[in-house]
Amino acid sequence: MINLKINGKSIQAEPGKTILQVAKEHDVHVPTLCYHKDLSPTGNCRMCVVEVKGGRFLQAACVTPIWEGMEIETENEKVMKDRKLTLELMLANHPVDCMICDAAGKCELQDLAYEYQAQIPAWGTKGTRYPVNSDPNPFIRVDMNKCILCRRCVLACEEIQGRDVWGVAKRGFDEIIVAGAGVTMLEARCESCGQCVAFCPTGALSNKMNYGMARAHQVKKVATICSYCGVGCQFDLLVKNNKVIGVSSNPDAPVNGMALCVKGRYAYDYIHHPERLVKPRVRKYLLEGKRKSDIRDSIAEGRKPKVGLSNIESPWDWVEVEWDKALDIVAEKFAETRMKFGADSLGFLTSAKCLNEENYLMNKLARQVVGTNNIDHCARL
Amino acid sequence: MTNKKIVYHPIPPEIEILAGRHGNEPEAALELLKEIQTHPSALTTDSISDAARALKLPPHQLYGMATFYSMLSLGERKKVLRVCDGPVCWLKRATMDDGQQTIVQWSSKAGGQWSVERTSCLGLCDRAPAVLVEVEQAGPVEAEEAGKVCDGWRGTPTDYSEVRKGEVRVMTSLIGKIDPDSIEGAMANGIYDGLKKALQTNPDAILTEIETSGLQGRGGAGFPVGRKWRFVANEKRTPRYIICNADESEPLILKDRVLIDTNPHQLLEGMTIAGYASGASEAWIYIRGEYEYQARRLEIAIEQAESKNLLGGNILGSGFSFNIHVHRGAGAYICGEETALIESLEGKRGEPRLRPPYPPQFGFRGQPTAVNNVESFCAVPHIVKNGAEWWRSLTNAPTPGTKVYMVLGHIKNAGLFEAPFGLTLREIIEDFGGGMEKGSKFQFALCGGAAGTIVDKTMLDVPIDFASSQKGISLGAGSFLICDQSVSPVAFLREILHFFAAESCGKCTPCRVGTWRSLKILNRMAAGEGQKGDIDELKILAALMQDASFCGLGQSVAIPMKSVMEHFGKEFARAEGH
Repeated sequence: MINLKINGKSIQAEPGKTILQVAKEHDVHVPTLCYHKDLSPTGNCRMCVVEVKGGRFLQAACVTPIWEGMEIETENEKVMKDRKLTLELMLANHPVDCMICDAAGKCELQDLAYEYQAQIPAWGTKGTRYPVNSDPNPFIRVDMNKCILCRRCVLACEEIQGRDVWGVAKRGFDEIIVAGAGVTMLEARCESCGQCVAFCPTGALSNKMNYGMARAHQVKKVATICSYCGVGCQFDLLVKNNKVIGVSSNPDAPVNGMALCVKGRYAYDYIHHPERLVKPRVRKYLLEGKRKSDIRDSIAEGRKPKVGLSNIESPWDWVEVEWDKALDIVAEKFAETRMKFGADSLGFLTSAKCLNEENYLMNKLARQVVGTNNIDHCARL
Repeated sequence: MTNKKIVYHPIPPEIEILAGRHGNEPEAALELLKEIQTHPSALTTDSISDAARALKLPPHQLYGMATFYSMLSLGERKKVLRVCDGPVCWLKRATMDDGQQTIVQWSSKAGGQWSVERTSCLGLCDRAPAVLVEVEQAGPVEAEEAGKVCDGWRGTPTDYSEVRKGEVRVMTSLIGKIDPDSIEGAMANGIYDGLKKALQTNPDAILTEIETSGLQGRGGAGFPVGRKWRFVANEKRTPRYIICNADESEPLILKDRVLIDTNPHQLLEGMTIAGYASGASEAWIYIRGEYEYQARRLEIAIEQAESKNLLGGNILGSGFSFNIHVHRGAGAYICGEETALIESLEGKRGEPRLRPPYPPQFGFRGQPTAVNNVESFCAVPHIVKNGAEWWRSLTNAPTPGTKVYMVLGHIKNAGLFEAPFGLTLREIIEDFGGGMEKGSKFQFALCGGAAGTIVDKTMLDVPIDFASSQKGISLGAGSFLICDQSVSPVAFLREILHFFAAESCGKCTPCRVGTWRSLKILNRMAAGEGQKGDIDELKILAALMQDASFCGLGQSVAIPMKSVMEHFGKEFARAEGH
């Protein structure tokens, strides 16, 4: 164990830890911005600087390992002054549009500016350097004016998603985050997982699908498990006025952490989609007790798109029915097919959108009731 | 921006061939980009993406490099003429403006086939005002002579064969006495004798000898060379590497160029001894891209040394094998920072790494690595040959040995000389520099390099060595720019900040925005439009950059800022509008 002092208090900590880790363990608050627990620390933003006794310069707590006899000051005058000034340097070139910014309320830069009461300097570019909404990606909204160059997006793409879309270009004050060789995100092989959005501490990267739809405090977060596949990713549904308006990563999710794929993060709009099927439907000819062979001629007709308000009915049309009716038809057809061609002529495909128990019952139905092993699950696709 | 339809296409054969020449090694990214730039395909998003595929790297990495290094540029490329923007060249221009005018003058005189760009200091301060014509160094040349320069005239090179009064020449002792491109001449004058002697003793004895000599690193920080090598030697892991830092990009510094130009074998010998002492088998010389002449000279020297079995496998039958490679940079001051240099050598943007771990533990390719300055290596053969005691006996100053100094600016004999440590500014000006120019009166000096202290006449008699920065006058890499009464300290500081703002890598907030903001303020003040509060803001920014920056670049910007404001408070107050 290593003996050290934080703000005059003697503590012991395991060797190999950073100042930030030790401070967290002992409830000492050190502000961070470029640091994220799921990413490699880089020491870029300099918000977490602390003073180490005997050191010529301030040290970034996120990357400085502890040593025996270290004496750390996390909140002395010099440290607080420098953090505030660093924030002001960021704010000077950041747009002053928190009022209409999508990130307000969950923006780490805004939180820190509040915490340090950092004023927006009179000088600076105020976020006028780059085009707003500059990338045609259908899910991700890019506004590099709000970027503070913490590089979390770069690391998230590289370390979590392994896609290496985002990178750093140019140098000095002109430094900017770019996709690939200065191309659009999709051209740079982006698969729209939105990891970069989840890790962005500001509004530089935000979601297009729910842009401007709700402030952070206006949504209720409902933890759920993704229904698209068998990995079991957990995330929060963002609910406003009883409507799901988005998905956000839950940093404490046991399986996936912050990570989600494009389906988990963005394919939620079916929930309130007007064309979503909420009742069973059957073909009209089935209700009429006919067989497919009886209506062969009208199928081709029915497949043509309907023109205008045409009321011409086809036996191929869908008709909404009650569950009992629909199931009766299915059961009848199953029994008939099984009798005629044997149990292995039937197959069952279950869904990740169903509960485990429901999938289990489906398995029982296939193997024990029908008598076939032809059963599979969409999560294997 | 709209999405282009993404269609697979094979890597174009010309790029495949270029990449193949480097074995498709990711480490060759910088060379490959430079080659593509001069190739008809030029650096475009397409060619960069293709090159990235050939090297199996993400395209953003190559694009990040292509936009990071100042000698690389996107798009179709004309022949480039780079006009030096360093403080010495600035002093030599009559107007002492912010440089825009000079670029315009050069552009109009050079003609349409040339693209004229500004560049940070070219390391040709003794030939100021200087330009770089593609990769050829030229100076002193004025804008009026642009036509001549484009036709191949390169100005007059400096000659240091004459020994100044009071000089003690060790590393520079063979200047003018040998042909730098002939190994026979070098060997006849005792070069490689140190290596031969070293190979007959054991590595540990060499380490001890260097440690006893008290040789301190000549890059500016003064870290003991022997101790660094000992760290590397003590690491269990192999291979270990030696890197020579020849990325001499700090304004005012030109000693490494002269040392390489006049005696390249001395450097190779020193590096080989370093390799033998610390158990390394391979070495790189990272030389700035602007020193193409010097890089070629080193390559010739390496070839010659290999043919004499002074480099390569089983050197002189000793069983020790050592290879040296030359790696050219592409224009980035930050690559002189040792971890940024290693990153650049590995084929990445030259951004500093987190420290610890330090290079002796985790350096090039993650292996134990010693990074030393050219001058440090050049001192080594002499110490091995003549002994640590001899080295210590060269001076009575606390820092042993001699140092290569540069004195520039408004003095009679500008240039380079070698002398023991502990000189005072007055001695440097009067004894070695031949006194102030006619009509010039000493006003201030920038000491060490661009990141050094700016001092007034109160500091003229302080002996200067690595420890004297505590007293307010720094040695740095040993350069002194002497300015007379005609130079405005405010405009001078603007030039310094101009350099740092252009060369900040952009990784950390204080340096990225702090240098930019300071330059804005100084631009205003130098133009006579200072505002109340400017000085305070500069002081606050300087303190922040010093305390909170990621690496030495940002941390040291404050040194000239603070010192000049301390010594010339009145001038600054006047520029602020009081």
